[in-house]
Amino acid sequence: MTVQADPRLVAELEIYGAQDVLKCYHCGNCTAVCPFSKAPFIFPRKSMRYLQMGLREKLKSNLEPWLCYYCGECSEQCPREAEPGETMMSMRRWLTAQYDFTGISNLLYRSWKMELLGIIVLAILTGLGFYMFGTATGDIHKYDGPGAFLPSAVIHAFDWTMATILSTFLLINCGRMWWFTMGRDPEHRATPAMYARRAGLLLLHFFTQKRYSECDRKGPWRLHIVLMLSYVSMLVLIMFFLPMMQAGPAVNWWAHAFGYAATAGLLITVAMALWGRVQKSATHYKHSHETDWIFLIMLFYVALTGILQHACHRLGSPYAANILYLAHLMGVVPMLVLEVPFSKWAHMCYRPLAMYFSHVQVDAMAAKESAAAETLPA
Amino acid sequence: MSKARIGVYFCTRGNGPNPSLDYKALATYAAALPLVVEVKHLGTSPTLDPVALAKELTAKQVTTVVIAAPSPGYFKTAFTRAMALAGGDPEAIRLASFREHGGGFESPTERAKAVLACAVMDVPFGLAAVPAPSPVHPDTLVVGGGIAGIQAALEIADAGKKVYLVERTPTIGGHMAMFDKTFPTLDCAACILTPKMVAVDQHENIELMTWSEVEEVTGRPGAFKVKIRKKARYVDLDACVACNDCSAICPVSTDSEFDSSISQRKAIYIPFPQAIPNAFVVDAQHCTYLQSGGTKCGACVKKCSKDAIHFEDKDEIVEVEVGNIILATGYEVFDATRMERYGYGKLPNVITALEFERLTNASGPTGGTIVMKSKQFNKRTKQEEWVFDPDGPRPKSVAIIHCVGSRDRNYNPYCSRVCCMYSLKFAHLVKEKLQDAKCYEFYIDMRAYGKGYEEFFERIKDEGIHVVRGVSARVKEVDGQLYLRGEDILEDKVVELPVDMVLLAVGLEPDKSACDISKMLGVPRDDGGWFHESDYNTDPTGTDRGGIFVAGVCQGPKDIPDTVAQASAAAASVLKTILRKQGSESNSDLTLATIENRARQLAKN
Ligand SMILES: Cc1cc2nc3c(=O)[nH]c(=O)nc-3n(C[C@H](O)[C@H](O)[C@H](O)COP(=O)(O)OP(=O)(O)OC[C@H]3O[C@@H](n4cnc5c(N)ncnc54)[C@H](O)[C@@H]3O)c2cc1C
Ligand code: SF4
Ligand code: SF4
Repeated sequence: MTVQADPRLVAELEIYGAQDVLKCYHCGNCTAVCPFSKAPFIFPRKSMRYLQMGLREKLKSNLEPWLCYYCGECSEQCPREAEPGETMMSMRRWLTAQYDFTGISNLLYRSWKMELLGIIVLAILTGLGFYMFGTATGDIHKYDGPGAFLPSAVIHAFDWTMATILSTFLLINCGRMWWFTMGRDPEHRATPAMYARRAGLLLLHFFTQKRYSECDRKGPWRLHIVLMLSYVSMLVLIMFFLPMMQAGPAVNWWAHAFGYAATAGLLITVAMALWGRVQKSATHYKHSHETDWIFLIMLFYVALTGILQHACHRLGSPYAANILYLAHLMGVVPMLVLEVPFSKWAHMCYRPLAMYFSHVQVDAMAAKESAAAETLPA
Repeated sequence: MSKARIGVYFCTRGNGPNPSLDYKALATYAAALPLVVEVKHLGTSPTLDPVALAKELTAKQVTTVVIAAPSPGYFKTAFTRAMALAGGDPEAIRLASFREHGGGFESPTERAKAVLACAVMDVPFGLAAVPAPSPVHPDTLVVGGGIAGIQAALEIADAGKKVYLVERTPTIGGHMAMFDKTFPTLDCAACILTPKMVAVDQHENIELMTWSEVEEVTGRPGAFKVKIRKKARYVDLDACVACNDCSAICPVSTDSEFDSSISQRKAIYIPFPQAIPNAFVVDAQHCTYLQSGGTKCGACVKKCSKDAIHFEDKDEIVEVEVGNIILATGYEVFDATRMERYGYGKLPNVITALEFERLTNASGPTGGTIVMKSKQFNKRTKQEEWVFDPDGPRPKSVAIIHCVGSRDRNYNPYCSRVCCMYSLKFAHLVKEKLQDAKCYEFYIDMRAYGKGYEEFFERIKDEGIHVVRGVSARVKEVDGQLYLRGEDILEDKVVELPVDMVLLAVGLEPDKSACDISKMLGVPRDDGGWFHESDYNTDPTGTDRGGIFVAGVCQGPKDIPDTVAQASAAAASVLKTILRKQGSESNSDLTLATIENRARQLAKN
C-alpha cells in the first residue's frame, strides 16, 4: 500500500478547531494519562503523529477520535500545550465531514457563516410554509380540534417524512464510516459472525454511554447522559405520541410527565454546558468551535419555545401558542436537518458505532493472529 | 551610485526576553533617520509572505531593508527571497536585534532606538555602543563557591591577584561536592574537587568568606564598594580541629542539607568531613542554647577541648573594595512536589536525583549502598518514619524519569541539559552496585550532546539498561508496590510497570538568591531567571553591567566541563582589565545620544 503524506493536513484540521498540533514533541504523556487508551487503541499521541505527518487516509480510517470523550486530562498535562484533547475533538468534526457524502458537512464546519445562513434560510422556508398552510386550512386562533392552525396529524406526518429523509442521509454516512474504518481494510477482515456477536454493544453504548462513565471525572458523563436521554425521550414522544401531547381537553398526564422531565433535562444541561463554555470552566470547555455555540443555542431555543408553546396551549391562549409553535418549528427543522446527518448530532450514531467497530476490529485482529500462529510450523 | 532607500520593517514576534517596547515611538524615530523612506509594522505573525513583501519593496522602491524585531533573524529568509523577487540586492538586509542588545534594560525603548539607528547607518552596534573606559581596582569579588566560583578564584589568585570568595553555606564545593561520580568519564568527583577546595583554603591571594552573603554593592565599575555579612558561626575557625566531640554530644537532630535531607545532622555540625573550611558551625535556628537565650543546654561548649565554641559571636559586616565581580551562584533543583502525579513527597521510594546522588555516594549515609526506604520507629519522636537503612532491602528494579520540571510549559520550558546524562550515570551506578536489578530510563529525547556523551549512552545501553522512549505519566502505589504508567512509543504500547524505586531527573532552576542579586547589581535575567550574558555568542561571560561577569550554571544550565571553561573565561576577562589597568563602564548606562553620535562618526569613515 502506498502512503501519501499531505503537508496541508494540519492547516485543514485547524479549520475544524485543531490548535498547536505542531507543538507536540511526542513524549507520550497524553497517551499514558488517558483513561481510555488501551491496546490496541493507543491515543491521542499517535493521532497527533498522523496529523503532523499528513497521513490523511490513516486518519480517515482512525476510530480513535470516537473513543475519546474529552475528559481533558491529556491537555492539562501536556508539557507542550499542544492541546491533544482539542485535537481529538477537531478530528471528530473532520471525520464527520469525511463520512458525509454530500459535502454539506464540510461546508458547515468550514464556515459558521454558511451554517448560520443555512439555518436562517431553512427557518424562513419552514415559517412561511407552515404559516401559509395554517392560514389556508385553519384558524390561527385555534390550537387543536377541527380547524386547528397546525393540526397534530399534519405535523406528525411531516415529522415522519423528515425523519425518513434524514435517516437515509445519516445511514449512508454511517455506511461510509464503516467503509473507511472497517470495510476497506484488507488487513483485518471481520466476518459477519464477528459483527453479529458484538451487535449488542451498539445498543449498550448508545443508551448508557458506558465508556464515558469510566472516566475518572463523573460530572461530564452525568451531564451528557441526562442531555442525551432527554433528547431521545423528546424524540420518541414526538415521533410516536405527538397527537396525544397536543390533544385536549382530556389530558394524558403520563406522556406529559415524560415531556416535562425531558424538557427540564434539556434546558438545565444545555444551560450548564453553555455556562461552562462561557466561563471556560473545564478543559473540554476551553476551546469552543463556532459550531459548538450554534448547536447549544439552537437546542436551548428549541426546548424553550417547545415548552412555552405548550404552556400557552394549556393555559388557554391558542393564539400565542400557535405563534410560539411556529417559532418552535422554525428552530427544530433547521436544527435537525443540518445537525443530524451533517454535524454535531451525527455523533449519536458515530460514537456507538465506533465502539462497536473497535471491538469487532479486535476480534478480527485476534483471529488473524491465531491463524498466523496455526500456519507456523510446530 | 544612487543613494540607498531604506525600508524599516518591524516584526514583533520573537522569543527570548521581549521588553515591552513602545513601537509607535520607535516608528516615529525610525522615520526621521537618514535615507529611511518607508516604516512599517508587519504584525506578530511568525511567518511572512515573500511575494507580498516583494510587492511592497517594489512599490516603495526600497533598496535596503532593516528588519527591526526582538529576534529579526527569524524573518531574514523571507526578506532575502522578497528582495530577490523584487530584483534588488538580497545582501542589502540589515538586522536590528532588540533582544540581543537591549534585553532587560530600564528604558528598553531608548535602547531599541539606538539599535535601530546603528542598523540604519550600517554600523555594528558593538562598535558604536562602546562603554567608556574606567580605572580598575585590582581586587576581585567572586560570589558563590561552587566549582565555578572555585575555578574562577583560583585562576585569578594564581595570576597573583587578590580574590574575595563569598559563599553562603558553611563550606565551598557547591553541588559537585555532593556527587559520587561525574559523567561521562565516571571519575570520582571528590578526587577532582577536594584538591581544588584545599587550594582555595591555602591560597595566599584568596580571602575565603563562607557562611557569608553580599549585602550591598555601591560604587561603580572598576571601583565597587561591597558590604559582606559574615554570619556568626559560633565556632572559631582557627581553633576548631573538626574532632566531632561537640557534634557527638549535641542532642538536637535535623535534616542534613548536604545529604539532601536523606540523613540527619546535629545543630552543631560540619556538612561533610572534607568541608572547607574544615570547621564546625552552629545552626542557630535549631540550637537549644541559642534559642533559649543561653538558659538551656550548652553541652558542646563544655565538651570542646579546644575552647573553640563561642556563643557570644555576632554577625560581622566586612567592607571591601573590588574592581570586578564574578557571579557564580549556581542553581537549585526543581521542586518535585510541584508535579503531583509522580507522588514525590508522598510515596517514600520516589526520590529526586540529588537524593540519589547522596544515596549512592560512598561517603553518604548508607556508605554508597543503594537501598529502599524502610519503616523504622523513631524513639525520640515516637513515630514511624521512612529512612534509608544501610541494611534495608535493595531495589530489584529502578525506573528513572527524565525531564521532570524541564521542557514543560507548565513548569520550565527549557532543557536543563545535564539530567539526561546524569540519569545515564545513575543507570550505570545501579547496574554496577546491583547487578540483578532491572533499570529503566523513560526519556523523551536523549540529549547526549557533549564530547564522549553519545559513546557514554551507547555504553550504558550495552550494560543492559532498558531505555524506553516516552516519558512516564504517573507513579502510583498499589498494595505497597509502585507502578509507573507510560507510553512505550517504540514498542507501541502503554506500560504499567511495577518498580521498587523511582528516580526523578529534576531539572535546574536559578539559585533563589539570583533575583535579589540581579536587583542589587542591575544585571538583567532572561526568561528562565538565569543571568543574561552580554552576548550569547561572543561574550558569554560578560554582562551589560561594567565589571560584572558570570560563570557556571547561574548563567544557564550546563555541566561541569562547561562550567569550568566559563569560569576560566570569566577569570581571563577580569585579569585583562586588571593587567591593562582599565575596565569599562556599564554598557547599559550608555545614552541614546552617545551611541547615535558615535555611530554617525563611524558611518562617515
Ligand atoms: C543530580 C545532578 C547530577 C549531576 N551530575 C553531573 C555530572 O556527573 N557531571 C557533570 O559534568 N555535571 C553534573 N551535574 C551538573 C553540575 O552540578 C553543575 O554543572 C555544576 O555543579 C555547576 O557548578 P556551579 O558552581 O555553577 O553551581 P553550584 O554547584 O550550584 O554552586 C553554586 C554555589 O554558590 C553558592 N551561592 C548561591 N547563591 C549565593 C549567594 N547569593 N551568595 C553566596 N553564595 C551563593 C551556593 O551555596 C553554591 O555553593 C549534575 C547536576 C545534578 C543536579
Ligand atoms: S502530551 Fe503533548 S507533547 Fe506529549 S505526546 Fe501528547 S500532545 Fe504530544
Ligand atoms: S537534559 Fe534531558 S532530561 Fe534534562 S531536560 Fe533536557 S532532555 Fe530533559
